[in-house]
Amino acid sequence: MDLTKDYFSNLGLPCSYQIDLAALADSHRQLQQAHHPDRFAASDEAEQRQAVQTASYLNQAYGVLRSPLKRAIYLLELQGMEPLAPTNTSMPMDFLLQQMQLRERMEELPAAADVEAELEQLADELLVMHKQLQTDFAAAYEAGQLPAAEVVVRKLQFIEKLQQECNDLEGRLLD
Amino acid sequence: MALLQIAEPGQSAKPHQRKLAVGIDLGTTHSLVATVRSGRAETLADSKGTHLLPSVVRYRADELPQVGTKALQHLVDDAANTIMSVKRLMGRGLQDVTRLGEQMPYIFEACESGMPMLRTAAGLKSPVQVSADILRVLAQRGEASLGGDLVGAVITVPAYFDDAQRQATKDAATLSGIQVLRLLNEPTAAAVAYGLDNEQEGTIAVFDLGGGTFDISILRMQKGVFEVLSTGGDSALGGDDFDHAIANWVCDQRNIQNLELAQQRFLLRQARQAKEQLSDTTVTHLTFADWPETSCPADIELTREQLNSLLDPVIAKTLRATKKALRDAGMTIDDINQVVMVGGSTRVLRVQEKVAELFGRPPLTSIDPDRVVALGAARQADVLVGNQTGDEMLLLDVLPLSLGLETMGGLVEKVIDRNTPIPVARAQEFTTYQDGQVAMAIHVLQGERDLVQDCRSLARFELRGIPPMAAGAAKVRVTFQVDADGLLEVSARELTSGVATAVQVKPSYGLSENEIADMIKASWSNVDADRGARSLREQQVEADRLLASITIAMEADGERLLTEDERQVIIKQMETLIVARNGDDHHAIAKQIEILAKATDTFAGRRMDDSIKRALAGKAVDNI
Repeated sequence: MDLTKDYFSNLGLPCSYQIDLAALADSHRQLQQAHHPDRFAASDEAEQRQAVQTASYLNQAYGVLRSPLKRAIYLLELQGMEPLAPTNTSMPMDFLLQQMQLRERMEELPAAADVEAELEQLADELLVMHKQLQTDFAAAYEAGQLPAAEVVVRKLQFIEKLQQECNDLEGRLLD
Repeated sequence: MALLQIAEPGQSAKPHQRKLAVGIDLGTTHSLVATVRSGRAETLADSKGTHLLPSVVRYRADELPQVGTKALQHLVDDAANTIMSVKRLMGRGLQDVTRLGEQMPYIFEACESGMPMLRTAAGLKSPVQVSADILRVLAQRGEASLGGDLVGAVITVPAYFDDAQRQATKDAATLSGIQVLRLLNEPTAAAVAYGLDNEQEGTIAVFDLGGGTFDISILRMQKGVFEVLSTGGDSALGGDDFDHAIANWVCDQRNIQNLELAQQRFLLRQARQAKEQLSDTTVTHLTFADWPETSCPADIELTREQLNSLLDPVIAKTLRATKKALRDAGMTIDDINQVVMVGGSTRVLRVQEKVAELFGRPPLTSIDPDRVVALGAARQADVLVGNQTGDEMLLLDVLPLSLGLETMGGLVEKVIDRNTPIPVARAQEFTTYQDGQVAMAIHVLQGERDLVQDCRSLARFELRGIPPMAAGAAKVRVTFQVDADGLLEVSARELTSGVATAVQVKPSYGLSENEIADMIKASWSNVDADRGARSLREQQVEADRLLASITIAMEADGERLLTEDERQVIIKQMETLIVARNGDDHHAIAKQIEILAKATDTFAGRRMDDSIKRALAGKAVDNI
C-alpha cells in the first residue's frame, strides 16, 4: 500500500463527502486483516515495522473518514486549504448569536427543573443542526464553492464542541 | 493410507505439525496457562492436576525459588522472602511502592534504575525478576503438557496498564526466555473466549470485576474482527470494597470502633465468607467471639436483602463507569447485544442482578470467570503463530490512557487521546520559547489531567543542536508511535535543520494504585479544578512574558523617555502584577495584566515614535 496516497484511494472509496459508512468499515476491516502487525508475528523486524506503520495509517484514515467534521476538513486540505488556520476566524453574525444563546442555555441547564429532559432536548437540537451542516457542506463542496464550504466546517466545529460539552455535562449530571 | 513423512535431520517442523503456543494470564493473586488443542482452548494443569498457580514466589539462599502453592505455605512463617501480589509493583518506582504501605511487608532497596528491589535470602530481586520466575514455571508447564518447545506466548495485562507497566511485563517475559507474541488486554481476551465459542456478532460489553480492580470494555465483533471501542474503569474498586462495606456495617451494628489489625483481618474474612454464602442462601451469620465490648452477642445475622443494600453503593460506581464507557464508545444500552462477566467478584449474585438490570438482559457467565482470560489469550496465541487458516480473527485494541508532552507552565498537551485505536502514529509540532534556544527538553507523560504533576512521567529526553533562531522560528516535530502491544516509541526532529533524536520510552517505574485511580477518575471529577489550574498557569506565563518585556524596555529607554512620576506608576503596577502572579487567582492576574498593559501604552507609543525618528534621522526627505 502506498502510504503517501490519500485516504480515499487507499480505502477504495470515491473522493467525495457523501460516503458509504458501511463500505468504509468493511474496507478498513479487510485491509487491517491483511496488514495488521498480528499477521506478521513470525516475520522479521523490518516487515513488522512496516506493518505497524501501515496499520497506524489505516487507523488514522478510518478515524478521519468516518468523522463528518474530520472528513470535511480533510477534503478541503486535499484542495490546499487550511479551514482551521488560527487566522481563519470570521463567522457570520447570526451564527455567533445562535452559539451564544446555545451556550447560555447549557450554562443554565443544571438549574432546570427537569435536567434530563432539557439536556435531551438540547442534544436533539444540536444533532439536527449537525446533520443540516453536513448537507450544507456536501452542497458547497460538490458545487466547488470552497470558501463557503470552509465556513461550514468552522460551524461544524462549533457544534461538535457544544455536543462534546453537552456529553460531558450529561456525564456529570446524570451520574 | 497415510503417506510416510520424511524430515531431514535439523529440518524444521513437519508441514502439518502445529506450532506450540500458549496464552498466559499473569494475575495478581493467581496465574494460568492455556493452549488450543483440537480446536478447543483449555487451561493446563500441573502434575497434580491443579490449574490455578498462586502468584507467589519464595526465595531461599542457594536454592531455586519456590513458586505457587509451596511458596504460599510460607506466607506467614517466611513473610519477607515470600513475595505475593508482585503485579502491583510492576512498572512502579520506589516512592510508589512505599506508598502502598503495610500491604507490602517487604524490605525494599533503591537501585540505579529507580526500580524498587526486594531484599530476599537469595539477594536483591526486582518485581520484573519475580514475575519472570512465575512466568518460567507456567512456560515449563506448557512445554511439559504439549511435549515440545514453545514458539511464543500471549500474555495478558489489565486494560488500564500504562506504558511502564506493559513494558515491565514484557521485560519479565523476555527475562524468563518467553517470546512475547503479543501483550493482550484482559477484557479483550475474555471477549475472544466468549466470542469464538459462541460465534457472536455484534456489540458486547466486558464487565471485569476483580478483588481490587474494575475494568469495563465495549467491543464490536464482526466477521472475526474484535474492535475495542472504549475502555474505562476504576483501578481501586473491587470485591475487597464489598468486604469492607460488610465489616463496617457489623461495626456500626455493634457500635464498635478502633478494632486492632488482627481483629480487622478476622472480621474481613468473616465478611467475605458471608458474602459468598449469600449467593446460595438468603440468610447467614457472622460469628465474632472477640468483640472489645463483652456485652455484644457473638453472633450477628446478615440477610441477603441487607447485604444487597450494603453492596449497592459499590456496584453503583461500576455501573456509572459502565455508562461512561458506553458514552465514550458512542453507544447506548440498546446497542449492546451481550454482556460478558470476568473476575471472581462477578460471582456475587447482586452484581449479576444489577448488571442484568442495567443492560436489560442476563450476563454471560458460562465460562469460569477465573479462566476466561487465559482461554482467550490461548486463542490469540494460536492465531498469531499461524495455526489457524482461512478467516482469521483479528483484535483491534485502543490506547487506555492519553499520551502527551509537557509545554510551558507545567501544562500537558495531549498528543494522542485515550481510546484511540492502536497501532497509531501521531506527530505534533512545537516551537522554541526563547531567542537563540539551541536545545529542547522533551517530557513524555501519560494520563488525563491537565497538569504535569498529575500525570505519570514516562520519559524525558533532550533534543540538542537546534540552530539558533528567534523565539518561535524553530519547528520541532515530536512523533509518537504506539504499537499493537500499547508500547510507545517517541522520536523528535527539528524541521528546519533536520536534527533528530529517538528514544524507546523505557521508564524505570510506573503508577501507584492511587495515581492510576486518580488518573482514570480525574478526568470526570476534576474537570473544574483542572480548568482553573490551566487558566492559572496560562495567566502566569502571560504575566511573566509581559513583565520581562517591560523590564527590558525600561532598562533601555525608561529614563530617557519617561518622567520620574511616569516611571514610578509603571513600577508600582509591575509590583502589583508580581504579587498577583504569585497568588492563585487567575482572574486577578488577568485583570492586572490588563492594567499594566494600559499603563505602559504611552511608553510603548513613545518608543515607537523614537525608533521611527532614529530611523529617519539624518536622511533627506527625498530618500524616505
